[in-house]
Order: sequence, then structure tokens, then C-alpha cells
Amino acid sequence: MKRTMVFAKRNLIEVYRDPLSWIFCIAFPIVMLIIMSIVNSAIPKEAGNTLFRIDNLAGGIAIFGQMFIMLFTAIAVAKDRNGAFLTRLYSSPMKSGDFVWGYILPMLLTAVIQVCVSLAAAIVVSIVVGYSLNIAGLALAVAAVIPSALMFSAIGFLFGALFNEKAAPGICSIIISLGAMVGGIWFDVEGVGGFMYKLGRCLPFLYATKLARSAISMDFGVSEFLVPLGVVVFSAIALTILASIVFNSRMRADQR
Amino acid sequence: MGYAIKTENLVKRYKDKTAVAGLTLEVKEGELIALLGVNGAGKTTTVKMLTCLTKPTEGRAEIMGCDVVKDSANVKRLVGVSPQDTSVAENLTVKENLEFMADLYLSKDKARSSVERTIKAFGLEEFSGKKAKLLSGGYKRKLSIAMAIIGEPKVLFLDEPTLGLDVLARRQLWREIEALKENMTIVLTTHYMEEAQALADRIVIMTEGNVKAIGTLEELENMTGRKGLEDVFVSIAERME
Repeated sequence: MKRTMVFAKRNLIEVYRDPLSWIFCIAFPIVMLIIMSIVNSAIPKEAGNTLFRIDNLAGGIAIFGQMFIMLFTAIAVAKDRNGAFLTRLYSSPMKSGDFVWGYILPMLLTAVIQVCVSLAAAIVVSIVVGYSLNIAGLALAVAAVIPSALMFSAIGFLFGALFNEKAAPGICSIIISLGAMVGGIWFDVEGVGGFMYKLGRCLPFLYATKLARSAISMDFGVSEFLVPLGVVVFSAIALTILASIVFNSRMRADQR
Repeated sequence: MGYAIKTENLVKRYKDKTAVAGLTLEVKEGELIALLGVNGAGKTTTVKMLTCLTKPTEGRAEIMGCDVVKDSANVKRLVGVSPQDTSVAENLTVKENLEFMADLYLSKDKARSSVERTIKAFGLEEFSGKKAKLLSGGYKRKLSIAMAIIGEPKVLFLDEPTLGLDVLARRQLWREIEALKENMTIVLTTHYMEEAQALADRIVIMTEGNVKAIGTLEELENMTGRKGLEDVFVSIAERME
């Protein structure tokens, strides 16, 4: 445990000293929140589009922001694998669990900070646009998105273990685009239906967005909260296990 | 005095290539041994096997009596490695890099005092708050070696520690390595003849995964009838071709 925390501290410092992580993990989601709120104010009420209403938008932005956590986890792991730094650590007393949680824990902390900042920005926007947000719901959302934060960190960890420093960010960008589309963040994927909706139901992103939005609106229905929670928790655990197995096998292969 | 390293017919094979072909070696505690050879001689693979980074295909190896395969957890506590490529955390400062490594091996109090001592010993005071990525090549190497010794290893492996350094930085690093000799067993891989000649108690000459000769410089000179390590090396390497 001590070595996990030592390694997690190192990774946290590395992430926080990279200005890009501040831009993409904190600033970009807030900018999107503001832009989409402006877009929402331009949509006539008669259109009946509530997707960009601040309560829905806040949940979507929370998940959108976590996708960048995935990107930075992938970059951190791939970068370390490319260099000789991990070679030094492989010959130290660190065990595979120290590596796995040493990478994931700082990203979980970053995700919690990120969602707190995004939701705080949502409160400010809600005051500006005159919409009343449920503060208890927002607090619950901070806890409700932790499983999806683990899921995205695990996906990033998996890609970082599988691909090199150049390929990993590209693959993550594809996942970000796909996740934002079929995850129902920028448009109503259920309303669109067809292949998009079917694909969305097969992937965990739509459930993650649903879970965040349900938490904010304190809607604890089975299909709105419990099922998405189950899917996201299962996906997070399964992907963390898969990423650990892949990392361990790559760890051995890297040293052959 | 016992043996810090013992290997018996150590072999590493990769599909159709034999990287190390039956290395048998005994290194006494406190000795500095140089593995000398051209690129692809098997030096780095030998270090990898002895530091549990890769498993031997055949044979056995012990570090301070601990088997590198069966008792790798203990071996990892006993060894320090400075890999061939500079391996530092680029966004951490010099002090943070050392604290990170010290915390992996030592208790909190011991780690703090070890960091201060190491910074002083390696003349890194001026750079302790500087990010590693901003250091020159020579200081990065220094930091890399400092990170390898901060866990107080019994056996230190330095893989091509002065590769790519200018002559002044190389000489300065030699002095640091000389100072370390008093406290630990050191295995140094190099293809610089003068480096092996200046630092090593004994020299192991390797070509194509095979050990061609082991001995002090004097012993190797007597064996070949040549003077100076470069001529000795050429003589041994050519004789084996």
C-alpha cells in the first residue's frame, strides 16, 4: 500500500504539472458547459429540447470531462512504457498492484476534482439562466460518477498498456468522439433510435450519462438509476481487471 | 568475504537468437566488475537477468545468496539499477525524484536523511529544485545513478552509465562511481575500454553472448601478451572469431 501511494503521488505530480491536463480536464468541460448553455438559450421553448438545460447538461459534461481523464491516463502509461523509467521500477520491490492503483488513484482524484469544478460551474450558470438546481442532487452526482471515473481510468490504462505514446491518444480521441455521440451527451440518442441507440445500449457510455443525470435530478427509478449504476459498476470492475491483466502481460513482454 | 553474485551456466535465448550463452561468474562483495563488449555482446541481457527484469532460459543466478527466479522479491530489495537510457521522472524535481525512489525502499525517516545525504554526495544541491527534464545529459545520468543507490542496495548495476557524455562529464561520473565502490558491489557494463580500465577490479570480456575472458587487467595482459585493455580486447575478440 505504501508503494502504491508513493507511485500515485509521483503520477499526480506529473499530471498536475502538465498544463494540457488543466486545459482538457478542467477548462475545456467548463467552456463546453458555457457554450452549450448559450446554445440552449437560443433554442425556442416550443422545440421542447431539454438536453442542454443546465440540469441535463451538467450530468453530460461530468461524463464528457471524464473522457479526458481516460486520455491522460493512456498518455501517462504509454509515456512511461516508452521510456526507461518503468524499467527502473520493474526491478524495484513494487508489485503489479502498486502499478495498477498507482496509475488509477490519481486519476480518480482528478476526476472527483473535475466533477466538483464542473458542477460548481453549473450552479453559477443555473443562477445566471434562472434555473433552480437541486444541490443535494449535485452532491449525489459527485459520488455517482466515481464508478464511471474508474471505468474511464481503466480504459485509459488499458490503451496505455496496449499502444505506444503516439497511438494511444489517437485511439482515445476516437473513443471520446464515439462516447460523446452514443453516450447521449450532445444529442438525444434514444430519440434518434436505430443503429445509434442500439450501439449506445451495447456500450457503457450512455448508462454513465444517464446515471449522472438521474443523480442530479434525484430520480432513483430502476431504468434511470439502478440499471445504469449496475452497468457502469460492472463495466468499471471488468475493465479494471482486464487492464491489470493486459498491463502485467505487457510488463513482462516489455522486458523480454 | 562472500560472493555478492554467483551465476552458473546462465543462458538467455530469444526464439532463434542466443543473447547470453552459458555465463558462469562469481563476483565478491565490494568488487567492481566491468562487463565489456561491443553492442549485442549480451551485457544488458545479463544485467536484466540479474535484476529480475527477464528470466533466464537456463542456468541459475544468485544475488547475495538469493535466487533471481525463486526469490525475486528479495533480490529486488538488494539491487539498484541505473538503466542504459536515462530513466528519471521528467516533471519531478531532482529532490522529488530522489524522494520517490527512497520512499519505495526505505522508511520515511531514513528516506529523508538518505535524500539529503545523496544530494550532497552527488553535488546536486544547486539543482535539487530543478525539474529533471531541464538537466543536462551529464546531470541526468548523475541523478539516474543517485536514484539507483538511494535505496541502499547491496549490488549496484550501472548499464552504460557514461554513454553519450562528453569527456568532462564522463570523468566526473567516474569519480562518483569510484566513491561508491567502498560501500557496495558494482556491475558496470560498458563498451569504453578506458572506462573499464579506470574503474574495474576485474573485467569480463563478452562477445556474441559468450564470456571470452575474465580477469584483472594484468591477468588479461599476461594471457594475451599485449599491453593496454584495447589491445587485449582486440586480441581476445579476434582470436575467438
